[in-house]
Amino acid sequence: MRKPYKICLPILLVCLAALTASAQEQGGGSFRLQCPTATLLHPGGTSSANPTPASSEASYNGPVYRTVTKDPTGTYTFSPALTFLDNGGAIKCQQISGGDGMMTEADGNQTFMFAFGPLSGLNSIQNGQPGTQFPNVFNQPYCNGPTYVNNQPNPYWNGGCLSGTSPDGGVGNILPTAANPNPGADASAIMNTGVLNGNIPAPLIAFDEDDEFLLNLSNVGMIMRPDLFEQHTVHFHGYPNASSFYDGVPDATIAINIGGTFTYYYVAPDAGTYFWHCHITPPEHLQMGMVGQLFVRPRQNRVPAGNSLFQSLAGCAVPVGAPAGTIAHCPARGVPGVVGQQSDLRTMCDPATDILCSAPIPVVPTGTGATQPVGGAKYVYNDGDGSTRYDIDVPLQIHGFDPNFHFVGMTFNPEGFSDMKDKYFLLNGRSYPDTIGIPGYAGMSASVTNPDPATHSISTTDTDSISRRSQPLPSLITLSASGGPPNVCGQAVCGQRAALRIADLDVQEYQTLSSVGIPMLLVGFNAKILRDQAGNNLYVKTNSITLGGGESLDVILDSTGIAPGTYFLYTPQLDHLSNDAENFGGLMTEVVVIP
Amino acid sequence: MSLSNTKNWCAVSRFLSVVAVSLLLAASAHAAAPGIKGTSFSLNAGAAYSSQPDGMAVYSWGYGCATGFSPTFAPAAIAGAFCPTVQFPGPTLIVTEGIPFTVTLTNSLPAAAGNTSILFPGASTVTFAGGMAGLLTQESTQTSAVTYTVTYSAPGTHEYYSGTQPDLQIEMGLFGAVVVLPSTVPTGCVALNNELGGGRVDFRLAPSAYDHPKSCYDREYLTQWSEMDPKIHKQVEDQLELIASCPAAGAQFSCPTALNVVTEPYHPNYFLINGRSMPDNMDANYAPNYPNQPYNGNPHMHPGELILVRYMGQGHWQHPFHEHGNHVRILGRDGNLLLSQTDATQLAGRMEFNTDTTPGQADEGIFYWSGKGLGWDIFAHTAANGATNPPCVPDANGYYTTASGATFPTYTAGVFTGGSPNYYEWCADHNHPLEANPIGQVGGGGPMTLPDPLIVTNGQWYNGTPYLGPDAVLRARGTAPLPPGSPLQNPPAESGIAFMWHSHNEREITTNDVFPGGMLQMMLVDPYVWNIDETL
Repeated sequence: MRKPYKICLPILLVCLAALTASAQEQGGGSFRLQCPTATLLHPGGTSSANPTPASSEASYNGPVYRTVTKDPTGTYTFSPALTFLDNGGAIKCQQISGGDGMMTEADGNQTFMFAFGPLSGLNSIQNGQPGTQFPNVFNQPYCNGPTYVNNQPNPYWNGGCLSGTSPDGGVGNILPTAANPNPGADASAIMNTGVLNGNIPAPLIAFDEDDEFLLNLSNVGMIMRPDLFEQHTVHFHGYPNASSFYDGVPDATIAINIGGTFTYYYVAPDAGTYFWHCHITPPEHLQMGMVGQLFVRPRQNRVPAGNSLFQSLAGCAVPVGAPAGTIAHCPARGVPGVVGQQSDLRTMCDPATDILCSAPIPVVPTGTGATQPVGGAKYVYNDGDGSTRYDIDVPLQIHGFDPNFHFVGMTFNPEGFSDMKDKYFLLNGRSYPDTIGIPGYAGMSASVTNPDPATHSISTTDTDSISRRSQPLPSLITLSASGGPPNVCGQAVCGQRAALRIADLDVQEYQTLSSVGIPMLLVGFNAKILRDQAGNNLYVKTNSITLGGGESLDVILDSTGIAPGTYFLYTPQLDHLSNDAENFGGLMTEVVVIP
Repeated sequence: MSLSNTKNWCAVSRFLSVVAVSLLLAASAHAAAPGIKGTSFSLNAGAAYSSQPDGMAVYSWGYGCATGFSPTFAPAAIAGAFCPTVQFPGPTLIVTEGIPFTVTLTNSLPAAAGNTSILFPGASTVTFAGGMAGLLTQESTQTSAVTYTVTYSAPGTHEYYSGTQPDLQIEMGLFGAVVVLPSTVPTGCVALNNELGGGRVDFRLAPSAYDHPKSCYDREYLTQWSEMDPKIHKQVEDQLELIASCPAAGAQFSCPTALNVVTEPYHPNYFLINGRSMPDNMDANYAPNYPNQPYNGNPHMHPGELILVRYMGQGHWQHPFHEHGNHVRILGRDGNLLLSQTDATQLAGRMEFNTDTTPGQADEGIFYWSGKGLGWDIFAHTAANGATNPPCVPDANGYYTTASGATFPTYTAGVFTGGSPNYYEWCADHNHPLEANPIGQVGGGGPMTLPDPLIVTNGQWYNGTPYLGPDAVLRARGTAPLPPGSPLQNPPAESGIAFMWHSHNEREITTNDVFPGGMLQMMLVDPYVWNIDETL
C-alpha cells in the first residue's frame, strides 16, 4: 500500500519545489506573514493602556479614551481623528499550514489526515502549549536545530541558532539585514516544514480579551493527494458578531489556494472556549482531521492582584480622558464610582438593552472592598465573583475518525458520506491509553521514545520515512489536593481546580463524557458563562456532559477534599470505548489526584 | 399508479442542473414563518412524493389541507400561498393562546397503512369526536374522520405529529408545527400593522413570541429538522404495490394485507430543513417546483433586527444546529418561557452558538447581528475620505439610530428611497480602517493586507469585499464584476454578508453522499438599503 507513495513522493516534492522556486523568484511568492508590532488599536507607548503590545500584556484598570491622528507607520493622517476606548490587550500572531499528514491510532494504525500543522510556536506546540505568540517572538525566523523537519538545512544554524531567531518563531520569516530590512517570506522554509506536518488536534490557539489576533494560514497543498487542488479556510467557531470575510465559509468569502497565505484578523471576542476548523466541504475536511482548539482568556485575569473583581466588572464611571459631556451608562448593580467593564459599551453587559450580552453583573457578592473576591488568579469568564477561578487549563477536544473514510481519502477516490461510521474516538487526537501518553506511566517503559519523553508528543512516520510530531497533546490531568491557593474554598487548604475546555468536533454523532469520582461543575456553555440576566449563576453540578458536533462547554474539576488516587474521564457510550477492533480504549483519560 | 418504486428521475448531470436552477431561484428567495391561521382546520393525511435535489422522489406520507377546505394563509403579505392535500411538513397551524380550535383529520392513506391521528403535545386540553380509539389518541379511519378540539393555554411553538405507529408514520412525514400566538402585545413591542417602520412590509405573525417584553421581535423564521431513511420509504411503497397487485386467487402464496416494515437499523440519507434539502430549501416559499414542500429556510436580516428563530426536531435524531454570525438567546422550550427564578422580568435561557434540535421538542431563540466589536468599519468608511462620510453618532447602546440622529430608512414599493445608509452602524469602529493600504476610495492605515485576488477562490455569496452594503462595495472595488464562475447569490445592489446556518454533525449537510446538501441554509445580513421581501 505504501510503496507507490514512496515512489511518488520524491517526484511530487520536486514538482512542488519547482513551484515554490519559481514563486521565490517573484520575491517570496504568495506566502506572506503578517504580524505588525504596532496597530491603531495597540500603538504602544505611554498613551496606550498597554505600552508594550508587541511583547507583553498589561494590567486592566478600565478603559482609557484615546484619539489617533496618524497610523503607526506615520503614512496616513486621519481627519477627523479616530477615537478609541483602549482596554489594553496586545497583538498576537500565529502561522499554520493547511495540508495533510499521518497520525498514529492507539492500536498502532497509521491514519492519513487532511490537517493543519504548526508553522509558528513549534516549540510551544510540541510541549502541549498554545502556539500563539507575541510579535517579538513570532517575527523571528524559526530555528531549532541544524535542519528543518525534512532534513533540509536551516540557514539560521551555525553551530547554534543565530541571534534573532527562535524555536517559536514564524516559519518563513527571513532575518532582516541592513541591506534588506523587509525581506518577505521564505517559501522554501514553509514547504520544508509544512509539507506532511499535519497535527491532530490542529495547533492550539489561545489569547486574551482585547488582543488583536492575526492568524496566517499557508496552504502547502496535500502532497499525498496531488489530484486535489483544495483550498482551506479557518472558521473561528462561535465568534460573536462575526464578519463574513473572516468567517471561513468558502461560499461566503474567499478561500486561499495552494501556495498562498490568507491572514485572518480578529479582535478577541468575549472570553470563553471556542474552537476552529476548516470550512471547506466540512463533512470531509472535519472528518479528515482539520479541527483545533481555541480559547480566549478574560480581561478579569489582568485585574491587579488584590483588586475587587466585582468592582472591576461592575464599574461604570466615565472613562479617563473621555470628552466632556460623556454620560455613564450604568446597568443594574453597576458601580458608578469606578471605571470598569461597564464603562465601555463594547465590554458592558446590560440585559435591559442587549439580549445577547455576555457576562451580566453578578448578584453582589457579600462583603465590601478587599473582602470581596479579588483578582490575581485565572478565570474562565469575567464572572465578577471569582466563581470560575481555576489553576490548570485543560483543552479537551472530542473527535472521531472513521478508518474507512480516511483510507479512501488516502486513495484517489471520493469518500462516501452516507456510510460514515467512526471507529476511533479521540480526546485531543488520541484514544486511551495514548491519551495519558506519558512514558513511565501506566506501565509504559520510561525509555520509550514515542511519545517523546521530554514533550509527551506522539510522532508518526510519514511516507517519506521521516517522523514528524503528529499528536502533541496528552490529556492526563494531574491535580494536587492541597496545591490550590489557601482560603478560597472555605477552608485553609484548597485543592487545585482544572478548567476542562471541552469541544466536540465529531461530524457524525453526539458524544458524552463522564467523570468518575470527581464532580463536574459546568460553568460555561458555547463560550458564555451560565448566568441568567438577573445575575444568578446557573452552574450545573453533574457527572457527565453531552455535546453535539460543533459545541463547547467549560467544566471545573475541583480536587479539594478528593482522596489521592487515579480517577477517570470516559464515555459511557460503551461502543465509543474501543479502538477499532480493540474493544477497550477510545474516549477515556485519567485524572490523577496527588496529596 | 406506476409500478416504479421510489423514483430516480435523473443522473448526476441532471442533479447539477437542478442545483444550478435552484441557486438561481435562491438569489431572491426569503423565508418568514408561513402557515394557515384560524380556529377551524380541515386536514387530510395522504401519500405523495418528496422531491430531493439528487433527483430522487421519495414516496412519503403527509398532512395537508382537505379537499374543499380554504384556509386563511398567514402572514397575509406572502402571495401565491397554497396548501396541497399532502405536504411535507404538514401545514403550520397558527392559533392563539386560550382560544380553542378544531382540526378535522380525514384519512386518505392507502388502506393497508391503517389508521392515522394527530398528537398535540403541549396542548392544555384536547377533546375529540368521530374516528375510533387508538393507543395514544383518537384515530382517523378510512371511513371515519376524527375532529380534535385543542386549546393551548400559553403562547409558544409546538409540534404536532402522528400518534399512530409513530416510528413509521412520522418517518414517512406525518408531522407539522403549531405556532401559538400570545393574546396581548407586551409593552415595548411594535404592534402588528403590516408595516415594520419605513414602509417595510411586516411579515411577522405577532409582535412577540410570549406575553413578555423580552420576547419582542422584528422578523421570524421557523425550521423543522428531520431526516429520512429511503429504505423504509421504499419498503412501504413496495409492500403497498404488492398488496394492491396481488392476485385475489391462484397465487402460490398468501397475499399480504397489511404493512410489515422494518424500521431498524435506522440509516437516514436525507437531512431536511422544512422538508427540503439544500439547495432546495433556499428557493422561495410556495415555489412551484415543490408542489408538496411549500416551506423554505432562507433567513435574511438587517443589522440590529431581533430575529425570532423557532426550531424543532421532527425526526429520530438530534441535530446540532450551528448559527454562524452570533449567538442565539434561548427564549422558551415547548411553550414555556425561561425566566430568572429571582426576577421574572429577566430571561434565564442560555446563549448558544449551537442549538440542539431534539425530536419532540420545540424551542425559540432571539438572534441578531450588529457587527459590534469587529474592530474595523464594516461600512468601509475611513477618515481618508472623511469629507463624504456619513456621520455615526452613538446612541445609548453605541449604534447609529434614530435615537442619535440617524434617519430611519424608508422604502417605496420595496425600494430604498432614503434614510441613513449606515443605519445601525456600531459607532465605536466608525472610520477605523481594516486595510493597511488604500484600496479604491477606502483609505489605509489599518492592520491588514488582503491576499492577492488571483490566489483565492470566490464563494457564490461573496460580495467581493470584506464590507457590507453596495456603497461600501462600490468604493472598495468599483463596478468590475467578480471572476466568472460565481453565480451571484448576493448581487451588487444587495451586497450583504453571508453566514451558514447548518447541522454541525457535518455528515448531515450531505444529500445521499452528495455534498453540499442536507441541513444547510445560508443566512444573509443585508444593509438597510436592501429591502428584504419575504414574498420572493
